[in-house]
Amino acid sequence: MCLQSGLKEEEGRGEGGREEEEDPGLTMATADSGPKPLQNAMKMAKVAIQLDGGNKHKEAYCEYLRTINFISHALLEEVVSQKEREIVAVEVERMLRLAEQCLERAKSFIGKSADPPDLSASVSASSSCSPGQSEPHQTPALPVATAASTVPPSDIPVDAGRKATSPTKTGHRRVMSEGGGELSPFLPPEIFQRIQTVESQDTSKKELTPIEEASRLNQKLKANYEARLARLTPGQAYQKTSLTLSLQRQMMENLIIAKARQDALQRKMEERRLRLQEEANRRFAASGAMTAEEQEQRILYTNVLEYEQDHDWPKLWKANMRKNLDDMTLVSGLVSYLLSRSDHPVVKLLRKHQYRIYNRLYPIVSKGLPQSPALSLRPSRSTHNLLHAEIQRKPTRTVGSSVGGQSFSADSSPSLSHDLHANYDDEDGDEPHTQVTVDRENSFEDLEQFLTQLDWAPPHGSADDTGSDLDTTCDPLMQPEQEEGNIQELEIRALTEHLKAVVKDIHIAIDQLLSLCLLSFECLNTANSKDLCLASIEEAFFTPLWSALVALFRKVHREREQAFETSMKLYGDISPGDVGVSLKLFPQDPGALQGSYPYESAVQELRLLIIDRCPQRKLECIVRTLRLICACAEDYRCLHEVDSTPKTAAIGADDLLPILSFVALRSQCPQLVSECAALEEFIHEGYLIGEEGYCLTSMQSALAYVESLHTGGAHLPADKLT
Amino acid sequence: MAAGGTGGRTYSFKVVLLGEGCVGKTSLVLRYCENKFNDKHITTLQASFLTKKLNITGKRVNLAIWDTAGQERFHALGPIYYRDSNGAVLVYDITDEDSFQKVKNWVKELRKMLGNEICLCIVGNKIDLDKDRHVSVEEAESYAESVGAKHYHTSAKLNKGIEELFLDLCKRMMETAQAEERLKGNGASQSASSRRGVQIVDDEPQATPAGGCCSSG
Repeated sequence: MCLQSGLKEEEGRGEGGREEEEDPGLTMATADSGPKPLQNAMKMAKVAIQLDGGNKHKEAYCEYLRTINFISHALLEEVVSQKEREIVAVEVERMLRLAEQCLERAKSFIGKSADPPDLSASVSASSSCSPGQSEPHQTPALPVATAASTVPPSDIPVDAGRKATSPTKTGHRRVMSEGGGELSPFLPPEIFQRIQTVESQDTSKKELTPIEEASRLNQKLKANYEARLARLTPGQAYQKTSLTLSLQRQMMENLIIAKARQDALQRKMEERRLRLQEEANRRFAASGAMTAEEQEQRILYTNVLEYEQDHDWPKLWKANMRKNLDDMTLVSGLVSYLLSRSDHPVVKLLRKHQYRIYNRLYPIVSKGLPQSPALSLRPSRSTHNLLHAEIQRKPTRTVGSSVGGQSFSADSSPSLSHDLHANYDDEDGDEPHTQVTVDRENSFEDLEQFLTQLDWAPPHGSADDTGSDLDTTCDPLMQPEQEEGNIQELEIRALTEHLKAVVKDIHIAIDQLLSLCLLSFECLNTANSKDLCLASIEEAFFTPLWSALVALFRKVHREREQAFETSMKLYGDISPGDVGVSLKLFPQDPGALQGSYPYESAVQELRLLIIDRCPQRKLECIVRTLRLICACAEDYRCLHEVDSTPKTAAIGADDLLPILSFVALRSQCPQLVSECAALEEFIHEGYLIGEEGYCLTSMQSALAYVESLHTGGAHLPADKLT
Repeated sequence: MAAGGTGGRTYSFKVVLLGEGCVGKTSLVLRYCENKFNDKHITTLQASFLTKKLNITGKRVNLAIWDTAGQERFHALGPIYYRDSNGAVLVYDITDEDSFQKVKNWVKELRKMLGNEICLCIVGNKIDLDKDRHVSVEEAESYAESVGAKHYHTSAKLNKGIEELFLDLCKRMMETAQAEERLKGNGASQSASSRRGVQIVDDEPQATPAGGCCSSG
């Protein structure tokens, strides 16, 4: 939802009548008396939007800032004064959202002053098509377009991805609060694509074709003619006819000339395309028979050649690269420049593949995602304590499955538990109801829907395999009592197959992108440059896709995540010694840590993993986590051996793995299971046997160990469970 | 620098280190890296994960040594460590019969999962404690031979036999890799499909002499 339509809605709900208010700037001072702050804030925002619409950028910018200021002031006052809750929670939320939107708009002005020509053009172009600012459909594109174009090119995907989620998120909330309808946090593919293309529009300023030019000219002529005609006195009829005739002649001439020019140009373009095609053919001259793949590559290469005829920068970069061989900063400069040129064939191909993959993910992930704890985002001590208390209260419970959501929601008072435990309830309690154990007909319908959704994915790659697999396994003659269990199993199997196919497609897409990149810039074809190139492509490729991708992984690995969660709830507050960490490697006296717990810094680092959107960065995060563990271990060992000089304190896997398990347990983040499974698929070949590969493998072992904890696979001292 | 000839390539090998908790795997690795690098700031992970660049008969070898946890409760997770390994170093303590038994179990598992592709080294560590020996030299050596592995005696404490062990292992892995290469018909380009396993990377053109030759992991 956009600011504009959101406002309308809010206003509708507010107390009517008080339409005419004094200057909104003044109301700020009188925030606590008189009208409700929300209404005031909305009025101010409305003024800002009007200014914005009227292209009064500076004033609009100020007004947005004033609105934000007002909101924060009002909310602050409310909190500090501790009066009887004057602003209801819903309103607080709305005000914060409004502030957020104002902030977004305000941010979009920053680029305008810095980089005027393109931006003001694109902004005014898009805002002028909705002069009344009344159609709600027009506005959503606006913030995205401007925001995307203000960020530095290399960051565009990141930014677009973030922006992309924010509009739906608010919309989503609203729907939830009103109707409780199910809406996913993922954008429909069409919008995903629109965002992709919107961000490209800034760079491609098309030249006019001759015909277009001529028609512009003719319009001018006509305007001139009309002006002259108006100046003529009624008596000069003869002159009028002659003017009309000459206008017609001129217009005709213009068009004919333009047509001829256009034809010539087209011929030339065709000739050029043929010539380039031949050049491309020569380049791939090896074998006679071409596979479809080769043919596609040839076409893509022709596009590259064509692009290079129209643009100078590739030549300049290439020349520069020849002069400075193996200059890695130059290489990375080239790659990020290339990826910022949204009309370059490489980038077009990138977007095409992204869209295709997203299309295959969306139908599945947009449907009822099991919301698992988002704890990891804000490590909350209170949750922690609650969990702990829960475990202490139920010392006899040892096996996980029954300890889940029901007992939590039943025991604790709703007001307390609602916020913190809603997530668990989703996973353990509600999930089976909504997804599986509805009556048989419904679950069949679910499956059917699921199947059609699979079909809906564009027929590409091995999608067919998935389909046929489903056909054979979905036997209508199945025994009724088996059905329910089987359906769940079937679903998991289908999902797993689908996931495999998607992973394969992603690998193919990235391979294709890399080879086109190297075809376009041969100078990048050295081992180091290639790695760098691949890393950049992967970053650009994965950033907008990751959350949808990991959602699919989470569906497939749901059981593992649940096992992790059960262990986490049971043993969340366990000491390192209980998971087998050597006593030398953590301080026995909790006081030594000043309120924190051992290896906290590593836990904090690990929690950051799910924030990154790119596999390479996530791997780096895991490596950092392990290094932090080693550093902490070294420190703790020094605490124990005060007398001896610190010798080689490096720890081997025998020590590392128990500590890592402890850290994973404390991270309270079941999503790690799916994230690591995804990383394993996408870890870059070269890193597989390197440090990154080792750290990922260790991480996975630790996670598997934590999952197995609650089943008794691991032997914990019994007294620790009470 | 590097001899040209047929060998303008770099081999990358992964070696996994297996053995029970107290047999001294970690000390072994620490010794091995200590000898090569006096630089203490390579990586804090170096006792668990170590890379080494070697030059063996004019060919360059990148060695990645993966330590594993010896505790029984992590045993089930072994496979994800040793998959795609080119070599395995199985360490036991000559004073501990049990640890030798564990090595036998590992050998069985590795042969079952990875076949004959993987080069196995069975290593009796702690020969400085020979007076307490519980695993006889003959038994160990004949067992190693029977499973197609090589046997070594080392002492991390006295720094004996370690260098030889890894050098020997590298040579064997190179032979295996070359044999595989010949089998494949040499010409076959490195297809993207074989994502894992031995990687033979063509060298980048040696354009800049600026970098110098001090290569460290």
